Amino acid sequence: MSSSEPALVSRAAAGDAAAFQGLVERHRSMVYRLAYRFAGNHYDAEDIAQDVFIKVYRSLDRFRHDSQLSSWLYRIVMNACIDHRRRHVSAGVRPFGAEAERRMHDTPAATPGPETRTYAGELGGMLTAEIGRLPPGQRTVFLMRHEEGMKLGEIATALGLAEGTVKRQLHAAVHRLRRALNAAKVTAGERV
Amino acid sequence: MTTCDYRESGDLEAYFYGERPPAERHRLDTHLRGCAGCRAALEELAAIGDALETMPVVAAPEGANWSGFMERLDARLAADAVPGRRGGGRVSAAALLALAATLTLTTLGVMLAMQATHRADAPAAAAAQTAVPAPPSFEAADTAAFQAVTEEHFERSKLVVLGLAAKDPARAGAADWGYERELAARMLTDTRMYRMAAEDRGLGSIASVMRDLELVLLQASFTDDRDPASLPRIQRLIRRRDLVAKMDAVSLSGL
Repeated sequence: MSSSEPALVSRAAAGDAAAFQGLVERHRSMVYRLAYRFAGNHYDAEDIAQDVFIKVYRSLDRFRHDSQLSSWLYRIVMNACIDHRRRHVSAGVRPFGAEAERRMHDTPAATPGPETRTYAGELGGMLTAEIGRLPPGQRTVFLMRHEEGMKLGEIATALGLAEGTVKRQLHAAVHRLRRALNAAKVTAGERV
Repeated sequence: MTTCDYRESGDLEAYFYGERPPAERHRLDTHLRGCAGCRAALEELAAIGDALETMPVVAAPEGANWSGFMERLDARLAADAVPGRRGGGRVSAAALLALAATLTLTTLGVMLAMQATHRADAPAAAAAQTAVPAPPSFEAADTAAFQAVTEEHFERSKLVVLGLAAKDPARAGAADWGYERELAARMLTDTRMYRMAAEDRGLGSIASVMRDLELVLLQASFTDDRDPASLPRIQRLIRRRDLVAKMDAVSLSGL
């Protein structure tokens, strides 16, 4: 039996559980990577990734084969990320931050102490935290452009937005990150 | 250091990511030679990229163990069995309608909760207290019932659309339409579900208006409210799509 992606999609849409599992296995790393980048911790990343595959399962039969499954998936992932954040904000739940998760799992070996961190690593951590504070739209676009290497036009298509809107969202995100970077540089300079 | 159009327009990021056509790229190359601010901004972009590259890529649950994830997904899929899927592929409109009705109630709850914490004087707030009839039961989900709930959805959406359309862009600051943006974001999922349900039932008029509404809500919830051009852009979209009139027409005609 063919295991090409269009064939898997067709079979999964017709209720073939094995085909659906095949699709999940093909795309789960990408989905999880994006979800983790967005959420910053395993707990929420799994929640988002599960929501994504539930949504895919519900709507596979509406997937149009003239578009890329991966683009369609990106859109579902990003909507799931944004929905997840909104649910948490509206429910008054504080995001389960990476720091809290690190403390819960108590894995000091995987978390180098401050003295062993490189400056670049510190900046990376600071920027990751700042990305986590970006408005969902800006964060989505920044992650898709910077982390996933998608072109502005591809992001616009995947999210159903005008390319100009995507460009403005990216600009706003980068502007904020540059400001955070400069603030960190000043702080680091003061320490020296 | 003064600012310049390239930095303000987002063209510099597009240049950084290699997304400018050759002619424009050449023009920016020339500009960069004389603009220390843009050169510094590009260096910062590179520094952001370098710093983020030091962060580990996490693309799997802890221990790269997918078994727990897959088990939980299977359990959720079993609990979430969609009528129609096993038997033949298409999700039934009734199932979507039931889901949409649930989402509608959720949205209504959120809207009412938001009223308690947001501006008490918002024009939309008082209207949002209008009682909403209970959604039709799953079994009674026929076309007429579907039209009734979509009409309710249009009525609630009008609060957002009219709220956005009525703002004076010259006077409205970001905070002045933040409430409408929040509502737009929260109504987006419902609108999408109603649109899909309408498409599924072959109700082209409703699906078409839902699509326009979805676009307006999407733009409203995604755009940067500090950008003074955002609100006029959304207002143009509402006018161009003639959205309020279309929602009224669909509600009146029942189609």
